[in-house]
Amino acid sequence: MRILLVEDDSLVSDAITRGLVASGYVVDPVADAESVSGRLADTHYDLAIVDLGLPGEDGLSLVRRLRRSGNPLPLLIVTARDGLDDRINALDLGADDYLVKPFALPELAARCRALIRRATAAAANEIAIGGLRIDLAGRRALNTTGDVLELTRREWSILECLAHHSGKVVSKERLTQAITGWSEDISGNAIEVHVSRLRSKLGTSATVRGIRGLGYRLEDA
Amino acid sequence: MPERKRPISIHQRLLRYMLAPLLLLLVVGVAVDHSMIVSPIHSAFDRALSRAALAIVARIQRTPEGQLGVTSPERLPLPRPFAGADPLPSARPHPMPGEGSRSPLRGMGGDKFFYRVSLPDGRTLAGTPDLPLAAPDDKAADGFSYADINYQGQLLRLASYRTLEDGDPVIVTVAETPARRDRAVHRMDVSFGLNDTVQMAAVLIITLIGIRIALRPLQRLSRQIANRPAQALTPLSTEQVPSEVRPVVESLNTLLGTVRNSVLSQQHFMANAAHQLRTPLTGLKAQLEVLSRETAGSPLEERIALLQGGVDRLAHTANQLLTLARAEPSAHRASHYTSIELPHLIGEVIESSLDRALAHGIDLGADSQHAQVTGVYWLLHELLINLIDNAIRHTPAGGHVTVRCGVNDGHAFLEVDDSGTGIPPDERLRVRERFYRGAGSTADGCGLGLSIVDEVARVHGAQLSILDGSTGQGTRMRIDFPANS
Repeated sequence: MRILLVEDDSLVSDAITRGLVASGYVVDPVADAESVSGRLADTHYDLAIVDLGLPGEDGLSLVRRLRRSGNPLPLLIVTARDGLDDRINALDLGADDYLVKPFALPELAARCRALIRRATAAAANEIAIGGLRIDLAGRRALNTTGDVLELTRREWSILECLAHHSGKVVSKERLTQAITGWSEDISGNAIEVHVSRLRSKLGTSATVRGIRGLGYRLEDA
Repeated sequence: MPERKRPISIHQRLLRYMLAPLLLLLVVGVAVDHSMIVSPIHSAFDRALSRAALAIVARIQRTPEGQLGVTSPERLPLPRPFAGADPLPSARPHPMPGEGSRSPLRGMGGDKFFYRVSLPDGRTLAGTPDLPLAAPDDKAADGFSYADINYQGQLLRLASYRTLEDGDPVIVTVAETPARRDRAVHRMDVSFGLNDTVQMAAVLIITLIGIRIALRPLQRLSRQIANRPAQALTPLSTEQVPSEVRPVVESLNTLLGTVRNSVLSQQHFMANAAHQLRTPLTGLKAQLEVLSRETAGSPLEERIALLQGGVDRLAHTANQLLTLARAEPSAHRASHYTSIELPHLIGEVIESSLDRALAHGIDLGADSQHAQVTGVYWLLHELLINLIDNAIRHTPAGGHVTVRCGVNDGHAFLEVDDSGTGIPPDERLRVRERFYRGAGSTADGCGLGLSIVDEVARVHGAQLSILDGSTGQGTRMRIDFPANS
């Protein structure tokens, strides 16, 4: 996995490069937005990390330029500005995620992983969480040992919905909507029953954590 | 504090300054009318008196003895001013008593009428013999002269006519009491007074209505200002503002512009400060993380961990300070205020704090009922993050933190309830102070969290209360939003 890092501060750039390289990525750091096009022309990247406060052309303008040219490269914005306007601006312009400085390296690595996974899942129709592999096209899930899990239609719908939002809390209402048609009526308790059966079938490959009052989250075991 | 006297309204002021001159004008007007009307009335009555004298002259005839005398004095016409306008039968002359009577003739409306026909030598031919004569008036070409006299205790208007009758000089004197002319003048005075008063009252009412209409642009302006959001710093429209009020609006706009500029420059400064602080901190933090990974197992590891702790604390404090500075009420434009669903906010903040809570072995959950407030989203986000952070920090592993929201008595509330160590009642006021750290504080707090919460609550007109936890232990931090938000 290759990451393009656009960051002008050498202290930050050097640390991010070392940190992500240690996590198994190949990182190409550049210090300004102008050199991005050249890099993109001759190398394939899976993700670009863009600092907003760049000298010359700033990060927002780079994001706009990339999206206007139709480049689908996943973009993670890193910035010292935490104003809501900036955040909305960046996301509206087509950035995929937003991280405010100062952040911890593991947080950055996790965001990179999620973005790359989302992009590849869209292409491969497969989502991997921990030891669990979810084949969206084949509508089946495989555990750590490669065995196909025996899931009911509703359990599969719940797993699919959780996997699409892996790492995020999914509300009970949303899960209910995912498993029911218009005519069906299902109680919150029924969701709990389905989730607890799903949890036992997942075993050690991944886990569904219940968050009191909010919903469920699919996590690495 | 002594209550200050309220300045009087423009309405009252205008009334107060108009009323005295108007009253004065009324008095002067009536006086002028009076003086204008007195002399025409008097001359009309005088003319009537003179006509009576002429009528008497017409009846002077020479008696068979060669003396001058007056025939049928009982048929004398009495003076009638404004003749023709007075057709009342009572205006007809009354029968007169016998010739030479000293008693007056009864005139109209209770007036007494006297006459005397005399010769220049003082002999009286007819009428009241001791009626005085008016001194001859040289200026009058018609032979009439007039005088006001006091005759037998009553005021009389007297007219003497000096003429020649059959070659002999005769003086005809007529007199009447002035009651009728006084009444006429009085009636005129009253009617003018009434007329003037009605006019003044009409002017006053029209003026009041006029003031009200003229002040309408001011009311419109004040409505326009009142209807703006409290944080709006955009200039007021000068369209439809009358030229008298325009300077006020323009000064107001200048002031708004100054405030807007200072807010913008403050925001600009904060953005720069944030960037200059955060970028090197990010570098330090990330470098130390890489270093700690590379030195794992070596004697340096422990010292690097200490450095990391320091940098983390520094980063946290810098963040909190920036948040606190940006939470200042002046920094928020009206456009920052949106309608916020509290359950949605809780979901988002819990999601971002979940991993921290799980790492501390704390069960973090929500109990959200529908509630909506108007506020600055990122500020309320910061408020809730700080409340949850505090709760996690002061709750031992195995405890729980519950975030609640809902509507109570028509106002929305937000609550973070923990099963932690709690805050003693005597410390509950002090914990809101900046940099105050309670007795049980751990090293990673900077003592700004509750100051931020307090500040953000204040920006939203909300109230922070520190209560006992709902389970009897721990703390319940409650934010009560105002009813209309």
